[in-house]
Amino acid sequence: MPPVNRQWRGLDRLARDPAFVARASAEFPQLAAALAAPRDRRGVLKLMAAGLALAGLSGCDDGAPGGVLIPPVLPPANAVSAGSRMFATASVMGGYANGILVRHDNGRPIKVEGNPLHPASLGGTSAIGQAEILGFYDPDRSRGLIRDGEPQSWSSLLTALAGQRDTLGRGTGFRILTGTTTSPTFIRQTAALKQRYPEMRWHRWDPVSRDAVRAGAIMAYGQPVEIVPKLDATDLLVTIDSDLLDSAPGHLRFARDFAARRNPARTDRMSRSYAIEPMPTLTGVAADDRFVTSPRDLVRIVPALAATVLRGETPSDMPGWFAPLVADMKAAHGRTFIHAGPHQPAEIHALVHAMNEALSGRGATYTLIDPVEADAAPMHDLLADMHAGRVTSLLIIDSNPVFTLPGFGEALKHVPFSMTLAAETTETGGRTHWTLPARHPFEDWSDARAYDGTISILQPQAKPLYDGLSPHTLLALFAAPGEADSRDLVRQTLGLADGPWHDALAAGLVPNTQAAVSSVPLKPQAAQAHPSQPPAAETTLLFRPDPHLWDGRFANNAWLQELPRPLTKLTWDNPLLVSPTIAARLELVNGDRVSVAVGDARVVLPAWIMPGQAPDCAVALMGFGRTDVGMVGQGAGYDVYPLTGGTGPVTLHKESGREVLACTEHHDPIFADAGDYVRHGTLAAFKAKPDFLGGQAEPAGLYNRKPTGPAAWGMSIDLNACIGCNACVVACMAENNIPTVGKQQVIREREMHWLRIDRYHEGSPDDPNILFQPVMCQHCEQAPCEVVCPVGATVHDQEGLNVMVYNRCVGTRFCSNNCPYKVRRFNYFDYAAEERRPAVARNPDVTVRARGVMEKCTFCLQRIAAARIDADVANRPVGADEVKTACQAACPAQAITFGNMAQGGDIAERKKSPLTYALLSDQGTHPRVTYEARISNRRSDTGA
Amino acid sequence: MNAVEPVTLPGSNNPDMTDHVSAIALRSKPFLWWWIAVTPPALLTSILVGSILYLFYAGVGIWGIDWPVGWGFAIINYVWWIAIASGGTFISALFFLTRSEWRNSINRIAESMTLFGAACAGIYPILHLGRPWFFYWLFPYPNSMGLWPQFRSPLLWDFFAILTYVVASILFWYLGLLPDLATLRDRAPTRAKQVVYGMMALGFRGTGGQWRHYHALYGVLAAIMAPLVCSVHSIVGLDFAGAATVGWHSTMFPPFFIFGASLSGFATVLLLIMPLRRLLRLHRYITTRHIDVLGRLLLTSSLFVGYAYIMDAFTTYYGGEKAEITMFQEKLFGYYAAIYWATILFNVLLPQLLWVRGVRLNQVAVGLISLGVIVGMWCERYTIVVVSLHRPHLPSSYGIFHGTIWDWLTMMGTVGLFVFGILMVVRLIPVISMFEMREILAPRRP
Repeated sequence: MPPVNRQWRGLDRLARDPAFVARASAEFPQLAAALAAPRDRRGVLKLMAAGLALAGLSGCDDGAPGGVLIPPVLPPANAVSAGSRMFATASVMGGYANGILVRHDNGRPIKVEGNPLHPASLGGTSAIGQAEILGFYDPDRSRGLIRDGEPQSWSSLLTALAGQRDTLGRGTGFRILTGTTTSPTFIRQTAALKQRYPEMRWHRWDPVSRDAVRAGAIMAYGQPVEIVPKLDATDLLVTIDSDLLDSAPGHLRFARDFAARRNPARTDRMSRSYAIEPMPTLTGVAADDRFVTSPRDLVRIVPALAATVLRGETPSDMPGWFAPLVADMKAAHGRTFIHAGPHQPAEIHALVHAMNEALSGRGATYTLIDPVEADAAPMHDLLADMHAGRVTSLLIIDSNPVFTLPGFGEALKHVPFSMTLAAETTETGGRTHWTLPARHPFEDWSDARAYDGTISILQPQAKPLYDGLSPHTLLALFAAPGEADSRDLVRQTLGLADGPWHDALAAGLVPNTQAAVSSVPLKPQAAQAHPSQPPAAETTLLFRPDPHLWDGRFANNAWLQELPRPLTKLTWDNPLLVSPTIAARLELVNGDRVSVAVGDARVVLPAWIMPGQAPDCAVALMGFGRTDVGMVGQGAGYDVYPLTGGTGPVTLHKESGREVLACTEHHDPIFADAGDYVRHGTLAAFKAKPDFLGGQAEPAGLYNRKPTGPAAWGMSIDLNACIGCNACVVACMAENNIPTVGKQQVIREREMHWLRIDRYHEGSPDDPNILFQPVMCQHCEQAPCEVVCPVGATVHDQEGLNVMVYNRCVGTRFCSNNCPYKVRRFNYFDYAAEERRPAVARNPDVTVRARGVMEKCTFCLQRIAAARIDADVANRPVGADEVKTACQAACPAQAITFGNMAQGGDIAERKKSPLTYALLSDQGTHPRVTYEARISNRRSDTGA
Repeated sequence: MNAVEPVTLPGSNNPDMTDHVSAIALRSKPFLWWWIAVTPPALLTSILVGSILYLFYAGVGIWGIDWPVGWGFAIINYVWWIAIASGGTFISALFFLTRSEWRNSINRIAESMTLFGAACAGIYPILHLGRPWFFYWLFPYPNSMGLWPQFRSPLLWDFFAILTYVVASILFWYLGLLPDLATLRDRAPTRAKQVVYGMMALGFRGTGGQWRHYHALYGVLAAIMAPLVCSVHSIVGLDFAGAATVGWHSTMFPPFFIFGASLSGFATVLLLIMPLRRLLRLHRYITTRHIDVLGRLLLTSSLFVGYAYIMDAFTTYYGGEKAEITMFQEKLFGYYAAIYWATILFNVLLPQLLWVRGVRLNQVAVGLISLGVIVGMWCERYTIVVVSLHRPHLPSSYGIFHGTIWDWLTMMGTVGLFVFGILMVVRLIPVISMFEMREILAPRRP
């Protein structure tokens, strides 16, 4: 075609261009025929116009990914957005399923919500579950088949697997290593493999192990059983170093049931809860009283407690809380439930089983069910076999033992054929012969069971972002040639007809698949279990998973890295948590470097003083210090796993130097005190005068302009229910495109969380009362931020929302200075652009904020707007409970209630609670967020 | 002990004064000391330009500001400079209205100080913005967005006040120059200088009618400037007092800021006239009388400021609000306590030496005290801005602030700009207002 800038007089000239005619006749034979035919001028012009238009089409994008797509600023007329849709699946943590719904916008998964129908979720989610969407979009996910560092083709993998099928024989040296799993399909496939290779073995490895729970059940009942607590029927909950509310299978459900009995304004049967624990757990902090007890004392006190409950003995030399606790337990006979955490030895679990049976709790406050998790051989057998050279082929699926188990990497050298299947880059992947990228759970079909056995189908939420392999497909390939489709495998396992299959996909669970209630009787020996006393030592070192990175598998998730840990408010790091006593002995302040040695294993890391930790305890948090991980997790924290392999006494030394740790709270112990902010009191005081903490003692204003719109948005937060789990914080980040800023910027106090959970300590550092308070924009009716903005970038709307106009903001930051709650966040740099996160992962309904702009909680304005549109279409006001904010929806304990107060509903009810108070009410801001004061129900609090 | 000299030394007269002062501006080559003195400020000014460019490129995150301390050096330095600027207006306008004849010798230096102080101050509010390219949104101009600025915000009034003040200061300074520019035009040795000074003199020929109009206009402008200097500082004070923020929410701030402005203004004038008097041999016209009277004014301002500090403590404890008391204790004994006590030392205690006449007449001592006051005033602003912000209502949002290298470079850059400007004035225009000196000197040589 002639160059565009050449001048021409008529299109005939173009029609005479032989190159064009040749191309046209090749592409459009009819056109060429038409051109060849005798023609008049008008005909030529018509044909040429059509030809040019068609030639232009060849420049169009074929829609393949990879190009830059810019959303229209003004959508074209008549374009209708598909809106958002929800698809059910499940989030699997430690093998157990929590039902979730994934919200899709314009066809892409955007946000995780809880599945209200699912028994383990009831609509709530955990912080980790919320963050799974970021992991799905992680650009660092492993991709491509790799053998010994070289990229491989699919066919070479098939060849290698064919070779394996030929050489494995009876499977004598064939081992599979996985984490704990409950997947019926996976279990069925391993069973099938076992038929083909009768001598193969399946091993299980979890760095955060629940083996003691299993062993304790076997000790007590002679066979594995699992406990299903019924906290809504429990009057007295006694937890022993428990993870009941924060990470046990079913913890979201337990938090919901627990919270239902905690607010005396709504229940007249407020439960009581005691925690006996060496370090503060969320379960302990939520309890009425925490009894700080060293692990060494625990193995003495729990048997004594059992002796008292089971045999009526009165042991001597017990702490002061012991006798009242026993009295309470006896008084609540049949309504007591005792729970021990997975870090306690099996003997303690056996004793707890015995006590629960003796207190007639079985059937009332809990049931026992047949085991949900698959049985597999323990790790130490595998390790021994590897060293002995008895393992010839090792398949590692979704496990990272090179990082989490000292010595595994060494043992791996004795294995002639090893293969890793993992979605993320792992240390193990780099050390096995083959590294295969696994599909993310959002890309693949699978299944899993909940804490009570209910089966959920995991359905893919999107086409795979990167080429990956399903574990089910891989297992099938080990059994026989030919690619098996994971969907077919799952469907075969469940054996569902079309109707029930689709129903199960829509509901997110297969109905009536709970595990059978077990009727196995308690063995009499359970009462005699006696935990061994650990050797006397000055320091006890405890290993705990990081609450957000868990065993390290989420180390590349920036949301979880930057999520302030509930109790320490630390981000991006895992210092050694030391008790105030140890800190005083070693003269440590936060950040001082210490060396921890267990026998020969030694790690140097900073220390952090943890109030409320047993005097002899130091706690090492696992999951940090990953070396082969994506760009986010690289270099964050310290690897403490080497210490888990050490044997011998624990020694602590202060080293020279101090690290700066990224903590989001900077309490000054001299001046800071709680109480005014988190109001709390006793049940006795509440019963005497229900509104003793509430009341709105707000000063009279000169002018009080109530917003007069058709809706009045308000929020109420129940501090009795909040367990500080952070699910709301991540939900808020996901919903509102909140950027992470990185460790250095957190150190410089520039984190961006719109919603933060304030944590206060009260009382002595050795045994403080720990209080949580979620704080977001309070949407003050008399908002101090609004009057000081010179350009009117933050204004009030008629529905009572304090809205932020990003486009108008020039960034004076005066609003932040003037906010008594300090809930405004400023984009000091272009944080959103610097994020390692593809643009498609963002919520399209929420503006991504630029550099130099202030931002803050909007009460999820985009959700309000969507409801408003629906209501307008139907010509009705927006219903009271029609809008759920992201934080509210995520909260497993239903601590947050939001709604249109003008229409009554839950929110209006909760606002009437006698416990309701406004934070900093003396500032006269009339916030639309109110709190319900926390009531404690200790024995002493009832006047007993 | 020396007696205080009169406003001009005996024997001074108009022709000598005019010869001496105009010769300085009309020298064909600058003094050697001038070259030496101008180099560091020129360097600092280019650093200022560099740091501003980097700031626009990278964003305000390069500074130390954080959450909760959203305001930092930009606001500290803005308030500091605007206060320094005010000293000139006090001398040139307020004391013009009171017909204090000693101000005639130093008002040119003082006004130039105002000009460049205000220029340094005026940069900061724009640099301070997260999106400085939209600074004009503070201005109520008709626009396609149909939006007005928010008239309830103190920042908006601050924007008006500073704009008015800068414009009025330039006009006042330039108007005060006109007769002297005409003198330079008449005496200029080269054609180029004749043309440039002639154009700048706007045709001032010294006719009776021109003088009549001139005096009327100058008087009116002085009458505007004198209240303006109070209003600009009240508004700056209201930037803080208008907020509900802990440590700021006090009706005392407007007068308190005027006290501080006069204190730092007088100190800076002293710091400028003492070396210039030596270097330019102006002993005849700027005498120990000037240093003495400025010393007295410095002492008086210092007492006012001291009173404000006492009232600050009194209202905090009398008011009894917990967050205010917590913040005040933190100010006294906390992380930033040294800065507070430095403020007290430099602004209140050290100037008390000026009660002694010997100290007032000792130029080294006066110079050190003035320098101390300038440092002290900076510390005071640091306390007001940073210490107040770092202890908000909720303990969960407590924080800390440290200036970064960019904070300091920008600040030093404005110091360079200020000195550079003053040196340019010394080089190019008469440092003493010649026509006003003629009102108080003998008309001809004895």
